[in-house]
Amino acid sequence: MFVGLLILSEYIFLEPYIVSHLPSGSEFGFTLILSISALSALVIPMNIFRINILKSSKQKMGGGLFGSVIGAAAGACSCGPVGFAVISTFGSVGATATAFLTNYETPIRIISIVILVVTLFTTLKSLKIECKINS
Amino acid sequence: MNKKGVILGVISIAIIGIIATSFSNSSDTVSLDARSHGTIDTTMGSPILGDPLAPITIVEFGDYQCHQCYNWYHNTKPAITTNYIETGKANLVFIDLAFLGRDSPKAAQATYCADDQGMYWEFHNSLYTSQESQIDNGWANTERLKAFAFGMGLDMELFESCLDSGKHSKRVQFNSSQAKEHGIRGTPGFFIINSDEQKQLSGAQPFSVFKEILDSMI
Repeated sequence: MFVGLLILSEYIFLEPYIVSHLPSGSEFGFTLILSISALSALVIPMNIFRINILKSSKQKMGGGLFGSVIGAAAGACSCGPVGFAVISTFGSVGATATAFLTNYETPIRIISIVILVVTLFTTLKSLKIECKINS
Repeated sequence: MNKKGVILGVISIAIIGIIATSFSNSSDTVSLDARSHGTIDTTMGSPILGDPLAPITIVEFGDYQCHQCYNWYHNTKPAITTNYIETGKANLVFIDLAFLGRDSPKAAQATYCADDQGMYWEFHNSLYTSQESQIDNGWANTERLKAFAFGMGLDMELFESCLDSGKHSKRVQFNSSQAKEHGIRGTPGFFIINSDEQKQLSGAQPFSVFKEILDSMI
């Protein structure tokens, strides 16, 4: 996910050869991507474990996925290929949606991080209860 | 006799109509010398930045509201200008792919209105210097574009009539169609062209990538 987001946000280029680039002024955006990816890497596997092994509810998994998806979508729809495809396909509706996701990229990513943090804590709490060994 | 008179009348009205139409259209069209770089028709693009006889041409496709274009303009372009354009090794042509918002086509048209007064690159630079991070938030609306022109000392009567009449709207549309025909799928997009080959680059890539390609083509 981390690499995918970096490619979408043009921090990594695959052509003509693989190169990474952090333009000045975009350090904060990079930090947000790093945070979303790290939190998603914790929240999603924990919830998969809860659902598969402990047969728990899928509610928290939904929260984690939602946080990850909106965090990823916020930066994807700019002037790159994804935004271009959305605008070409959906016209002015696509342009409005793309503009919204681009204009509010930072707040959306912060909200996404908050959702992931809340999901992480509630998942940890429920795992502590569900994994408790009865003596 | 009457029939002949009617026919002659109709013919003369038709001729007058055709002449009037052609005159009214001629004021809205832009006549430019045909120019191409590689397979790209750059006739409707920007004036050439740098030596027109330079062995390499960099064709940039961009949108004035695109943040990655802003990144490229501020992070990569200065090194290209210093090392390749000012030394006569390469020149640059900017072609609009104005797709991001409703203010994008108008901003592109405004650069050509400035070009009518010989100030294309100055206007281009002022747009990329003044770009705000939000799309269509008004920083590139018609009033602000006129304010940029006023600040640069352009003839405002000429500039306003040019911008308000949409004189260069077809030029911008043509440029966007050129971009799509050449497989540009986002901005900024580049073609680096010499007499033998043309290479495509996508995105606001760092100077090192451009340097490697440019050096291999000189």
